Amino acid sequence: MNDDNRLSRRGFLSLATFSLGGLISLIVGIPAISYIVSPARKKVEEINFIPLGAADRVTVGEPTLFRTKITQRAGWIIDERELSYYVLTENNREFVALSNICTHLGCRVRWVADEEKFFCPCHNGVFDKNGAVVSGPPPRPLDRYEVKEENGQLFVAFG
Amino acid sequence: MVSFLSRLDNIAKRLAVWLDERLGWRGVWEAIFLRKLPKVNWAYTLGSAALFVALLQMVTGILLTIYYVPTPDYAYDTVQFITHDVNAGWLIRGLHHYGASALILLSVLHMARVVIYGSYKFPREVTWLSGVFLLLVTFGFGFTGYLLPWDQKAYWATTVGTSIVGITPGIGDWLLRVLRGGQQLSEVSLARFYGVHVWFLPASLLLLMIIHMYLVIRNGISEIPHKDDQI
Repeated sequence: MNDDNRLSRRGFLSLATFSLGGLISLIVGIPAISYIVSPARKKVEEINFIPLGAADRVTVGEPTLFRTKITQRAGWIIDERELSYYVLTENNREFVALSNICTHLGCRVRWVADEEKFFCPCHNGVFDKNGAVVSGPPPRPLDRYEVKEENGQLFVAFG
Repeated sequence: MVSFLSRLDNIAKRLAVWLDERLGWRGVWEAIFLRKLPKVNWAYTLGSAALFVALLQMVTGILLTIYYVPTPDYAYDTVQFITHDVNAGWLIRGLHHYGASALILLSVLHMARVVIYGSYKFPREVTWLSGVFLLLVTFGFGFTGYLLPWDQKAYWATTVGTSIVGITPGIGDWLLRVLRGGQQLSEVSLARFYGVHVWFLPASLLLLMIIHMYLVIRNGISEIPHKDDQI
């Protein structure tokens, strides 16, 4: 088509057309890929401390129930969940939170002060003060979460 | 380097020949892109410009459906999510938003060019007619798409827009209820506007575009009329 190695008019125009078309495709295509994969960019949130309540509510040696709420948002729906923890301390300095969810099938356990044990109403799972299994079907102790105290307020690690 | 490139070029050529023997793509390519044209001016590119924007609307529109949800409780939130949270969401939505106006503008200008140069005459009457329907479909896209962000402007503009149908003599009230899917603008309206916007209209558009472009290629494009032409 071009023996003397110079670009012909036709050659130039088709080169220009393809370059421009390629450029436009890239301008749309690269953001489009980024747009599609966008939700994957968000990793599972790191451990956050969520507020539980006043530290002086906890009696030494007695698991105390705290309720808190957490809001989560994956896309456009703001999801509010209620979480409950039994907070335990032996010295008013170090606190630990026990999940009130039975490790057997997920029912809520209840602390019975007279018997000093957690009881699950569903299948008679029993846990001691520290969450260890005493009797019944639960396969493992109650889940434990780190608690920190700041200015008389308790925060539980969530994540 | 040079020998490598020429070898690559050789492979590409042989692949092209191999494919052409099986697909006959070269004939299609020549019919579309290497066809004979009379000497015309830049106004004759308006149709291609409209085609390009229409393709862009398809791409960006398909992308928007990945996050958009056409229900009253989430439509607005998902549009905000696209605009503010998704990577390049502002760009995709912006292209679709301004592309809609650009498409109407280019279509009307293209139509004006066809009128001014008399290109609608024999043998191109059917091309013209398919173009008229294409314009109507484009208006349909604009009208239904306007409701989808589900903000105040969308809601009230569509309330007003649909109530115009209501003044049709005799069947006006019935037409209005068909259009809105009820007496009032509601979740039913949003869902059907969305359905029309992403299924009914694209299907019609694609069909009409194929007809329109087949006719443009089959009949060739018109010459610029000359003052000495016999009328």
